[in-house]
Amino acid sequence: MNTISDYLSELKKNLQGRDSALVQDALADAEEYLTDALAGVKEEQPGLSDSDAFSLAVEQYGLPGEIAQEYISIEKRTGPYSPNVKKGKSIFARFFGIFADSKTWGAVLFILISLITGCIYFSWSAAGISLTLGLILFIFGLFVLLFYLYSLRGIALLEGRLVEGLLGVRMPHRPLFMPKGMGWKEQLKMLFKEKHTWFTLIYTILQLPLGVIYFSLFIILIAASLSSCVFPFWVNGILKLNGLVSSINFTVSMWTTPLFILGGILLLTLTLWMCRGIGWLHGKWARLMLVVE
Amino acid sequence: MEERENNIKKFQKELLSGIAALVLLSVLDKSEKPLYGYQITKILGKGGKGFSLLKLGALYPVLRSLEKSTLLSSSVEPSFSGPPRRYYSITQEGKETVREWQKIWGQTQDFVNDIVGGVD
Repeated sequence: MNTISDYLSELKKNLQGRDSALVQDALADAEEYLTDALAGVKEEQPGLSDSDAFSLAVEQYGLPGEIAQEYISIEKRTGPYSPNVKKGKSIFARFFGIFADSKTWGAVLFILISLITGCIYFSWSAAGISLTLGLILFIFGLFVLLFYLYSLRGIALLEGRLVEGLLGVRMPHRPLFMPKGMGWKEQLKMLFKEKHTWFTLIYTILQLPLGVIYFSLFIILIAASLSSCVFPFWVNGILKLNGLVSSINFTVSMWTTPLFILGGILLLTLTLWMCRGIGWLHGKWARLMLVVE
Repeated sequence: MEERENNIKKFQKELLSGIAALVLLSVLDKSEKPLYGYQITKILGKGGKGFSLLKLGALYPVLRSLEKSTLLSSSVEPSFSGPPRRYYSITQEGKETVREWQKIWGQTQDFVNDIVGGVD
Protein backbone atom coordinates (compact mmCIF):
# COMPACT_ATOMS: atom_id res chain seq x y z
CA MET A 1 0.00 0.00 0.00
CA ASN A 2 1.93 3.01 -1.27
CA THR A 3 -0.55 5.38 -2.83
CA ILE A 4 -3.89 6.94 -2.06
CA SER A 5 -5.65 4.77 -4.61
CA ASP A 6 -4.15 1.64 -2.95
CA TYR A 7 -5.53 2.87 0.34
CA LEU A 8 -8.93 3.58 -1.16
CA SER A 9 -9.23 0.15 -2.74
CA GLU A 10 -8.20 -1.45 0.56
CA LEU A 11 -10.81 0.61 2.39
CA LYS A 12 -13.40 -0.37 -0.19
CA LYS A 13 -12.54 -4.02 0.37
CA ASN A 14 -13.05 -3.58 4.10
CA LEU A 15 -16.44 -2.02 3.52
CA GLN A 16 -17.59 -4.66 1.08
CA GLY A 17 -21.28 -5.50 1.38
CA ARG A 18 -22.02 -2.29 3.30
CA ASP A 19 -24.41 0.44 2.29
CA SER A 20 -23.01 1.85 -0.95
CA ALA A 21 -23.68 5.45 0.07
CA LEU A 22 -21.66 4.87 3.24
CA VAL A 23 -18.81 3.41 1.20
CA GLN A 24 -18.83 6.44 -1.09
CA ASP A 25 -18.70 8.81 1.91
CA ALA A 26 -15.84 6.91 3.57
CA LEU A 27 -13.81 6.86 0.34
CA ALA A 28 -14.36 10.57 -0.27
CA ASP A 29 -13.32 11.47 3.30
CA ALA A 30 -10.19 9.33 3.10
CA GLU A 31 -9.20 10.77 -0.26
CA GLU A 32 -9.71 14.32 0.95
CA TYR A 33 -7.70 13.81 4.14
CA LEU A 34 -4.84 11.83 2.61
CA THR A 35 -4.38 14.32 -0.23
CA ASP A 36 -4.19 17.21 2.23
CA ALA A 37 -2.07 15.29 4.75
CA LEU A 38 0.44 14.19 2.08
CA ALA A 39 0.89 17.78 0.96
CA GLY A 40 1.16 18.87 4.61
CA VAL A 41 3.76 16.26 5.54
CA LYS A 42 5.89 17.08 2.51
CA GLU A 43 5.76 20.75 3.32
CA GLU A 44 6.86 20.15 6.91
CA GLN A 45 9.52 17.58 6.04
CA PRO A 46 10.66 18.21 2.45
CA GLY A 47 13.34 15.51 2.62
CA LEU A 48 10.87 12.70 3.18
CA SER A 49 10.34 10.17 0.40
CA ASP A 50 6.88 9.75 -1.12
CA SER A 51 6.28 6.37 0.47
CA ASP A 52 7.45 7.55 3.92
CA ALA A 53 5.20 10.59 3.72
CA PHE A 54 2.32 8.32 2.73
CA SER A 55 2.97 5.93 5.64
CA LEU A 56 3.03 8.86 8.05
CA ALA A 57 -0.28 10.18 6.74
CA VAL A 58 -1.87 6.73 6.98
CA GLU A 59 -0.50 6.24 10.49
CA GLN A 60 -2.26 9.40 11.60
CA TYR A 61 -5.45 8.70 9.71
CA GLY A 62 -5.74 5.03 10.64
CA LEU A 63 -5.49 1.78 8.70
CA PRO A 64 -8.29 0.95 6.26
CA GLY A 65 -9.59 -1.81 8.53
CA GLU A 66 -9.84 0.46 11.59
CA ILE A 67 -11.46 3.29 9.66
CA ALA A 68 -13.99 0.96 8.05
CA GLN A 69 -14.97 -0.18 11.56
CA GLU A 70 -15.47 3.43 12.71
CA TYR A 71 -17.85 4.19 9.84
CA ILE A 72 -19.77 0.98 10.41
CA SER A 73 -20.18 1.51 14.15
CA ILE A 74 -21.29 5.15 13.80
CA GLU A 75 -23.71 4.29 11.00
CA LYS A 76 -25.23 1.63 13.25
CA ARG A 77 -25.84 4.16 16.01
CA THR A 78 -27.20 6.91 13.79
CA GLY A 79 -29.21 5.46 10.92
CA PRO A 80 -30.73 7.80 8.33
CA TYR A 81 -33.85 8.19 10.51
CA SER A 82 -35.81 6.29 13.13
CA PRO A 83 -39.39 5.46 12.27
CA ASN A 84 -41.93 7.05 14.60
CA VAL A 85 -44.62 4.43 14.20
CA LYS A 86 -43.67 1.96 16.87
CA LYS A 87 -44.35 -1.71 16.70
CA GLY A 88 -46.64 -3.35 19.23
CA LYS A 89 -49.43 -0.81 18.82
CA SER A 90 -52.89 -1.88 17.70
CA ILE A 91 -53.54 -2.01 13.96
CA PHE A 92 -55.99 0.86 14.36
CA ALA A 93 -53.38 3.07 16.06
CA ARG A 94 -50.79 2.15 13.47
CA PHE A 95 -53.17 2.86 10.60
CA PHE A 96 -54.05 6.35 11.83
CA GLY A 97 -50.59 6.89 13.35
CA ILE A 98 -49.51 7.81 9.82
CA PHE A 99 -50.72 11.37 10.45
CA ALA A 100 -48.20 11.81 13.27
CA ASP A 101 -45.26 10.33 11.39
CA SER A 102 -42.86 12.91 10.00
CA LYS A 103 -41.84 10.48 7.27
CA THR A 104 -45.34 10.72 5.80
CA TRP A 105 -45.15 14.48 5.43
CA GLY A 106 -41.67 14.16 3.97
CA ALA A 107 -43.08 11.82 1.33
CA VAL A 108 -46.00 14.20 0.64
CA LEU A 109 -43.59 17.08 0.20
CA PHE A 110 -41.41 14.95 -2.08
CA ILE A 111 -44.45 14.10 -4.23
CA LEU A 112 -45.38 17.77 -4.54
CA ILE A 113 -41.80 18.76 -5.37
CA SER A 114 -41.24 15.88 -7.78
CA LEU A 115 -43.42 17.53 -10.42
CA ILE A 116 -41.25 20.64 -10.33
CA THR A 117 -37.92 18.81 -10.18
CA GLY A 118 -39.21 16.46 -12.90
CA CYS A 119 -39.89 19.45 -15.18
CA ILE A 120 -36.48 20.98 -14.46
CA TYR A 121 -34.49 17.75 -14.92
CA PHE A 122 -36.39 16.85 -18.07
CA SER A 123 -35.91 20.28 -19.66
CA TRP A 124 -32.24 20.24 -18.72
CA SER A 125 -31.71 16.80 -20.22
CA ALA A 126 -33.74 17.61 -23.35
CA ALA A 127 -31.76 20.82 -23.82
CA GLY A 128 -28.45 19.09 -23.07
CA ILE A 129 -29.03 16.20 -25.45
CA SER A 130 -30.37 18.27 -28.33
CA LEU A 131 -27.65 20.89 -27.98
CA THR A 132 -24.97 18.21 -27.95
CA LEU A 133 -26.45 16.39 -30.93
CA GLY A 134 -26.67 19.65 -32.84
CA LEU A 135 -23.09 20.63 -32.10
CA ILE A 136 -21.45 17.21 -32.06
CA LEU A 137 -19.75 17.79 -35.42
CA PHE A 138 -17.78 20.65 -33.95
CA ILE A 139 -15.16 20.26 -31.27
CA PHE A 140 -17.15 22.78 -29.28
CA GLY A 141 -19.99 20.24 -29.08
CA LEU A 142 -17.76 17.88 -27.15
CA PHE A 143 -17.19 20.53 -24.49
CA VAL A 144 -20.94 21.05 -24.26
CA LEU A 145 -21.30 17.28 -23.86
CA LEU A 146 -18.65 17.19 -21.14
CA PHE A 147 -20.35 20.04 -19.29
CA TYR A 148 -23.72 18.34 -19.63
CA LEU A 149 -22.42 14.97 -18.36
CA TYR A 150 -20.82 16.69 -15.37
CA SER A 151 -24.07 18.50 -14.66
CA LEU A 152 -25.75 15.09 -14.44
CA ARG A 153 -23.44 14.23 -11.56
CA GLY A 154 -24.51 17.43 -9.85
CA ILE A 155 -28.16 16.54 -10.40
CA ALA A 156 -27.58 13.05 -9.00
CA LEU A 157 -26.05 14.52 -5.83
CA LEU A 158 -28.76 17.16 -5.44
CA GLU A 159 -31.57 14.69 -5.99
CA GLY A 160 -29.84 12.33 -3.56
CA ARG A 161 -29.89 14.99 -0.84
CA LEU A 162 -33.58 15.62 -1.54
CA VAL A 163 -34.38 11.90 -1.42
CA GLU A 164 -32.46 11.42 1.83
CA GLY A 165 -33.93 14.51 3.45
CA LEU A 166 -37.53 13.79 2.55
CA LEU A 167 -37.73 10.03 2.13
CA GLY A 168 -35.13 8.99 4.70
CA VAL A 169 -33.21 6.79 2.28
CA ARG A 170 -29.44 6.87 2.72
CA MET A 171 -27.84 8.59 -0.29
CA PRO A 172 -24.28 9.79 -1.01
CA HIS A 173 -23.22 12.99 0.74
CA ARG A 174 -20.25 13.68 -1.45
CA PRO A 175 -19.70 14.25 -5.14
CA LEU A 176 -17.77 11.70 -7.16
CA PHE A 177 -14.18 12.54 -7.91
CA MET A 178 -12.17 12.52 -11.11
CA PRO A 179 -8.53 11.48 -10.93
CA LYS A 180 -6.25 14.49 -10.80
CA GLY A 181 -4.56 15.80 -13.93
CA MET A 182 -6.85 14.06 -16.41
CA GLY A 183 -7.26 15.61 -19.86
CA TRP A 184 -10.75 16.57 -20.99
CA LYS A 185 -10.84 13.81 -23.60
CA GLU A 186 -10.08 11.18 -20.97
CA GLN A 187 -12.66 12.70 -18.67
CA LEU A 188 -15.25 12.52 -21.44
CA LYS A 189 -14.30 8.93 -22.17
CA MET A 190 -14.54 8.01 -18.50
CA LEU A 191 -17.92 9.69 -18.08
CA PHE A 192 -19.14 7.90 -21.20
CA LYS A 193 -18.04 4.52 -19.90
CA GLU A 194 -19.63 4.99 -16.49
CA LYS A 195 -22.92 3.22 -15.94
CA HIS A 196 -23.78 5.90 -13.40
CA THR A 197 -23.90 8.65 -16.06
CA TRP A 198 -26.50 6.82 -18.13
CA PHE A 199 -28.53 5.75 -15.12
CA THR A 200 -28.71 9.37 -13.98
CA LEU A 201 -29.76 10.42 -17.47
CA ILE A 202 -32.60 7.88 -17.45
CA TYR A 203 -33.58 9.04 -13.98
CA THR A 204 -33.76 12.70 -15.01
CA ILE A 205 -35.95 11.86 -18.00
CA LEU A 206 -38.29 9.50 -16.17
CA GLN A 207 -38.66 11.90 -13.24
CA LEU A 208 -41.10 14.02 -15.28
CA PRO A 209 -43.69 11.29 -16.04
CA LEU A 210 -43.24 9.90 -12.53
CA GLY A 211 -43.68 13.37 -11.04
CA VAL A 212 -46.85 13.91 -13.08
CA ILE A 213 -48.27 10.55 -11.95
CA TYR A 214 -47.39 11.10 -8.27
CA PHE A 215 -48.69 14.64 -8.26
CA SER A 216 -51.95 13.86 -10.07
CA LEU A 217 -52.70 10.81 -7.94
CA PHE A 218 -52.09 12.79 -4.79
CA ILE A 219 -54.15 15.83 -5.79
CA ILE A 220 -57.06 13.75 -7.12
CA LEU A 221 -57.24 11.58 -4.01
CA ILE A 222 -56.84 14.49 -1.60
CA ALA A 223 -59.56 16.43 -3.47
CA ALA A 224 -61.86 13.39 -3.43
CA SER A 225 -61.42 12.78 0.31
CA LEU A 226 -61.83 16.42 1.29
CA SER A 227 -64.89 16.86 -0.91
CA SER A 228 -66.40 13.72 0.55
CA CYS A 229 -66.03 15.30 4.01
CA VAL A 230 -67.79 18.53 3.05
CA PHE A 231 -70.26 17.17 0.49
CA PRO A 232 -73.31 16.76 2.79
CA PHE A 233 -72.79 20.23 4.29
CA TRP A 234 -72.41 21.70 0.85
CA VAL A 235 -75.62 20.19 -0.50
CA ASN A 236 -77.80 20.44 2.61
CA GLY A 237 -76.37 23.65 3.90
CA ILE A 238 -75.14 26.13 1.38
CA LEU A 239 -76.99 25.07 -1.76
CA LYS A 240 -80.37 24.35 -0.14
CA LEU A 241 -80.42 27.26 2.24
CA ASN A 242 -79.71 29.61 -0.57
CA GLY A 243 -82.42 28.02 -2.64
CA LEU A 244 -79.96 26.98 -5.30
CA VAL A 245 -81.18 23.39 -5.29
CA SER A 246 -84.82 22.50 -5.05
CA SER A 247 -84.90 19.19 -6.86
CA ILE A 248 -85.27 16.09 -4.75
CA ASN A 249 -82.43 14.47 -6.68
CA PHE A 250 -79.90 16.69 -4.97
CA THR A 251 -81.01 15.92 -1.46
CA VAL A 252 -78.61 14.05 0.76
CA SER A 253 -80.22 12.54 3.83
CA MET A 254 -78.88 13.95 7.07
CA TRP A 255 -78.06 10.51 8.47
CA THR A 256 -75.52 9.88 5.70
CA THR A 257 -73.43 12.88 6.80
CA PRO A 258 -71.20 10.90 9.23
CA LEU A 259 -70.74 8.24 6.57
CA PHE A 260 -69.47 10.79 4.06
CA ILE A 261 -67.13 12.27 6.63
CA LEU A 262 -65.89 8.86 7.72
CA GLY A 263 -65.37 7.84 4.10
CA GLY A 264 -63.45 11.07 3.49
CA ILE A 265 -61.17 10.53 6.48
CA LEU A 266 -60.58 6.93 5.49
CA LEU A 267 -59.67 7.93 1.94
CA LEU A 268 -57.39 10.68 3.27
CA THR A 269 -55.58 8.17 5.49
CA LEU A 270 -55.28 5.72 2.62
CA THR A 271 -53.92 8.51 0.43
CA LEU A 272 -51.20 9.18 2.99
CA TRP A 273 -50.37 5.48 3.08
CA MET A 274 -50.12 5.59 -0.68
CA CYS A 275 -47.69 8.52 -0.38
CA ARG A 276 -45.58 6.46 1.99
CA GLY A 277 -45.65 3.60 -0.49
CA ILE A 278 -44.62 5.90 -3.33
CA GLY A 279 -41.87 7.34 -1.11
CA TRP A 280 -40.59 3.86 -0.31
CA LEU A 281 -40.62 2.74 -3.93
CA HIS A 282 -39.08 5.96 -5.18
CA GLY A 283 -36.34 5.68 -2.56
CA LYS A 284 -35.46 2.22 -3.91
CA TRP A 285 -35.53 3.56 -7.46
CA ALA A 286 -33.31 6.54 -6.63
CA ARG A 287 -30.79 4.30 -4.89
CA LEU A 288 -30.72 1.96 -7.85
CA MET A 289 -30.20 4.76 -10.36
CA LEU A 290 -28.18 7.41 -8.54
CA VAL A 291 -25.78 5.54 -6.24
CA VAL A 292 -22.59 4.16 -7.68
CA GLU A 293 -22.05 0.58 -6.54
CA MET B 1 3.27 -5.86 30.51
CA GLU B 2 2.00 -5.73 26.96
CA GLU B 3 -1.48 -6.41 28.19
CA ARG B 4 -1.31 -3.48 30.57
CA GLU B 5 -0.21 -1.19 27.75
CA ASN B 6 -3.08 -2.43 25.63
CA ASN B 7 -5.48 -1.74 28.46
CA ILE B 8 -4.14 1.80 28.81
CA LYS B 9 -4.48 2.40 25.08
CA LYS B 10 -7.99 0.96 25.08
CA PHE B 11 -8.98 3.19 28.01
CA GLN B 12 -7.59 6.30 26.32
CA LYS B 13 -9.29 5.46 23.06
CA GLU B 14 -12.67 4.92 24.69
CA LEU B 15 -12.37 8.11 26.68
CA LEU B 16 -11.47 10.14 23.60
CA SER B 17 -14.11 8.69 21.35
CA GLY B 18 -16.69 9.53 24.01
CA ILE B 19 -15.82 13.21 23.87
CA ALA B 20 -14.91 13.47 20.16
CA ALA B 21 -18.28 15.03 19.31
CA LEU B 22 -17.89 17.65 22.07
CA VAL B 23 -14.36 18.51 20.95
CA LEU B 24 -15.31 18.81 17.27
CA LEU B 25 -18.33 20.97 18.04
CA SER B 26 -16.22 23.20 20.30
CA VAL B 27 -13.54 23.64 17.62
CA LEU B 28 -16.15 24.68 15.06
CA ASP B 29 -17.91 26.86 17.62
CA LYS B 30 -14.70 28.83 18.19
CA SER B 31 -13.82 29.09 14.52
CA GLU B 32 -15.06 32.15 12.67
CA LYS B 33 -15.08 30.48 9.28
CA PRO B 34 -16.07 27.01 8.07
CA LEU B 35 -13.33 24.40 8.35
CA TYR B 36 -12.56 21.23 6.40
CA GLY B 37 -11.45 17.95 7.94
CA TYR B 38 -7.69 18.41 7.65
CA GLN B 39 -7.82 21.91 9.14
CA ILE B 40 -9.76 20.56 12.11
CA THR B 41 -7.23 17.78 12.66
CA LYS B 42 -4.43 20.38 12.54
CA ILE B 43 -6.14 22.44 15.25
CA LEU B 44 -6.56 19.32 17.38
CA GLY B 45 -2.90 18.47 16.83
CA LYS B 46 -1.90 21.81 18.40
CA GLY B 47 -3.86 20.96 21.53
CA GLY B 48 -1.25 18.46 22.71
CA LYS B 49 -0.66 14.78 22.37
CA GLY B 50 -4.11 13.70 23.54
CA PHE B 51 -5.85 13.28 20.22
CA SER B 52 -2.94 11.63 18.47
CA LEU B 53 -4.04 8.44 20.21
CA LEU B 54 -7.30 8.55 18.36
CA LYS B 55 -7.01 7.89 14.65
CA LEU B 56 -7.89 11.06 12.77
CA GLY B 57 -9.92 9.05 10.30
CA ALA B 58 -12.30 8.26 13.15
CA LEU B 59 -13.27 11.94 13.40
CA TYR B 60 -14.76 12.11 9.90
CA PRO B 61 -17.72 9.81 10.55
CA VAL B 62 -18.36 11.79 13.77
CA LEU B 63 -18.51 15.03 11.74
CA ARG B 64 -20.92 13.35 9.38
CA SER B 65 -23.18 12.13 12.18
CA LEU B 66 -23.17 15.62 13.74
CA GLU B 67 -24.28 16.98 10.40
CA LYS B 68 -27.02 14.37 10.21
CA SER B 69 -28.33 15.50 13.58
CA THR B 70 -28.31 19.12 12.23
CA LEU B 71 -25.70 20.35 14.73
CA LEU B 72 -23.34 21.05 11.86
CA SER B 73 -23.93 22.08 8.28
CA SER B 74 -21.55 21.61 5.41
CA SER B 75 -20.81 22.59 1.85
CA VAL B 76 -18.51 21.10 -0.74
CA GLU B 77 -16.05 23.38 -2.42
CA PRO B 78 -13.51 22.60 -5.10
CA SER B 79 -9.84 22.58 -4.13
CA PHE B 80 -6.86 23.36 -6.33
CA SER B 81 -4.70 20.59 -4.96
CA GLY B 82 -7.02 17.60 -5.13
CA PRO B 83 -10.57 16.41 -4.64
CA PRO B 84 -13.26 18.88 -3.48
CA ARG B 85 -13.30 19.60 0.23
CA ARG B 86 -16.22 19.49 2.60
CA TYR B 87 -16.33 22.58 4.81
CA TYR B 88 -18.19 22.23 8.09
CA SER B 89 -19.72 25.01 10.14
CA ILE B 90 -21.75 24.96 13.32
CA THR B 91 -25.51 25.63 13.20
CA GLN B 92 -27.50 27.68 15.72
CA GLU B 93 -28.80 24.43 17.16
CA GLY B 94 -25.21 23.18 17.37
CA LYS B 95 -24.17 26.33 19.26
CA GLU B 96 -26.96 25.84 21.78
CA THR B 97 -26.17 22.14 22.10
CA VAL B 98 -22.45 22.67 22.63
CA ARG B 99 -23.19 25.04 25.55
CA GLU B 100 -25.25 22.29 27.19
CA TRP B 101 -22.57 19.70 26.48
CA GLN B 102 -19.85 21.93 27.89
CA LYS B 103 -21.92 22.34 31.06
CA ILE B 104 -22.29 18.57 31.33
CA TRP B 105 -18.57 18.17 30.67
CA GLY B 106 -17.81 20.58 33.53
CA GLN B 107 -20.07 18.68 35.87
CA THR B 108 -18.53 15.36 34.81
CA GLN B 109 -15.06 16.78 35.32
CA ASP B 110 -15.95 17.94 38.85
CA PHE B 111 -17.51 14.60 39.64
CA VAL B 112 -14.54 12.60 38.37
CA ASN B 113 -12.07 14.91 40.12
CA ASP B 114 -13.94 14.43 43.37
CA ILE B 115 -13.76 10.67 43.09
CA VAL B 116 -10.35 10.30 41.51
CA GLY B 117 -8.87 13.45 43.12
CA GLY B 118 -5.49 13.40 44.76
CA VAL B 119 -3.89 11.20 42.12
CA ASP B 120 -0.80 12.84 40.62
